[in-house]
Amino acid sequence: MATIEDKVIEIIARESGLERTKISAGSTLKDLEIASLDFVQIMFAIEEEFKIYLPTNDPRAETGTVASLIAEIERQIAAKSA
Amino acid sequence: MDRVVITGAGCISALGPDLASTWAGMRDGRSAIATLEGLPLERMRVTIGGQVRGFDPSRHFHEKKLPLYDRFTQFALVAAREAVKQSGLTLSGELARHCAVIVATGIGGQTTQDDGFKRLYAENADRIPPLSVPRAMPSAATSHVTMEFGLRGPAFGVTSACASSNHALAVAFDMVRLGRVPAALAGGSEACLTFGTIKSWEALRVMSPDGCRPFCRDRHGMVLGEGAGMFLLEPLKAARARGARPLAELVGAGMSADAGDIVAPSVDGAATAIAAALADAGLAPERVGYINAHGTGTPANDPAETKAIRQVFGRHADRLAVSSTKAVHGHALGAAGAIELVAVLGALREGLIPPTAGFTEADPECDLDYVPNQARRVPIEAALSNSFAFGGLNCVLALKRVEP
Repeated sequence: MATIEDKVIEIIARESGLERTKISAGSTLKDLEIASLDFVQIMFAIEEEFKIYLPTNDPRAETGTVASLIAEIERQIAAKSA
Repeated sequence: MDRVVITGAGCISALGPDLASTWAGMRDGRSAIATLEGLPLERMRVTIGGQVRGFDPSRHFHEKKLPLYDRFTQFALVAAREAVKQSGLTLSGELARHCAVIVATGIGGQTTQDDGFKRLYAENADRIPPLSVPRAMPSAATSHVTMEFGLRGPAFGVTSACASSNHALAVAFDMVRLGRVPAALAGGSEACLTFGTIKSWEALRVMSPDGCRPFCRDRHGMVLGEGAGMFLLEPLKAARARGARPLAELVGAGMSADAGDIVAPSVDGAATAIAAALADAGLAPERVGYINAHGTGTPANDPAETKAIRQVFGRHADRLAVSSTKAVHGHALGAAGAIELVAVLGALREGLIPPTAGFTEADPECDLDYVPNQARRVPIEAALSNSFAFGGLNCVLALKRVEP
């Protein structure tokens, strides 16, 4: 079964057009040069995939790492099932 | 070319049902942004807005006419009536035959669209109310304003997202100064606080869940508003001849397109429009005392607008006042420029600059004088009103005080 990390990297690759191999947990969205429109598409796809909401007002989200994004997704999934 | 003055103004906004209450709210920095009413908030992430409250359409319109009017048309009519009344102009004869009507809107009759589609998709009804098309069309407000006053000159809607109102006023200004029309009734209207529209904005992730704080370090987005502003424009000499007291002179308009990004702002595009407005007005930058900023409170807009102002004004940028009244009435999209023109008229007439309300802490990237929290008494000779839309469509108006 695909992990959350696999799914997130898959989504980022699909929405940004980047090669999967270029994306790792340690990369920041800023380093990957994700444009702001791609960013909102990625957030939308993640929210749809995991049936969660991600905070809209986190100023670090757009520049943070893939790992921190995954951590946030895990928090939201946990909050939902709690 | 004729000099053009504004002799009548009308407004309805979250701050109040008319010009005086809207200006008072801006001047006092009293925020009308609050929890939205009449919407399924449990399904929404963003639950605040600058909503027009206590508006009872049946007090303004005949029951036979009301089914024809979407909420954005209602707002336009209310504001237009106030503007015409204040102008003291009798709209009849040759004047009515040639007077222009230009009403901007960003998205038109959204209430009608939302209600109709809800029936169709959610309630599985097979019919949509029969007046949906003439209610929802973005030019509906213009049409109803022409009918209300019997105005038969050039009439159309204008749309450029968040700059729509300024573009409408710029076009009306040109028509009057070129002598193409003897007067124009122009402005903008928006009623965008519907479930569908708010959800669309929510998805774009540019909305603040807790307030609009333009130019502040802790700003994190815009807050939607609604309402309308309408203005009666006529040649200065005609106004003088009939003994009217102009509210301000419209002296220039500057327009540009970024030709860049569909959402990200451009410093150069904004600066080009500001510089063009000054050039059109023949106004030296040093004479501008106040700029009503676009100031949406998004992370992207405010530093870009700050840089654009610096680029055009150079050292004078540190001597002029800049404020965003969106902090108190929200971003009314296609009506934004029209509602914000109320702030400019007030500043010019009363020598009182409305503050950027709810100002918390300065952002190093936004380093102008934003008139935080308290209105400032200072005589203003000339002022600008900025509107920079999504899609890179920019329009800046330049106005001057008229001595009474």
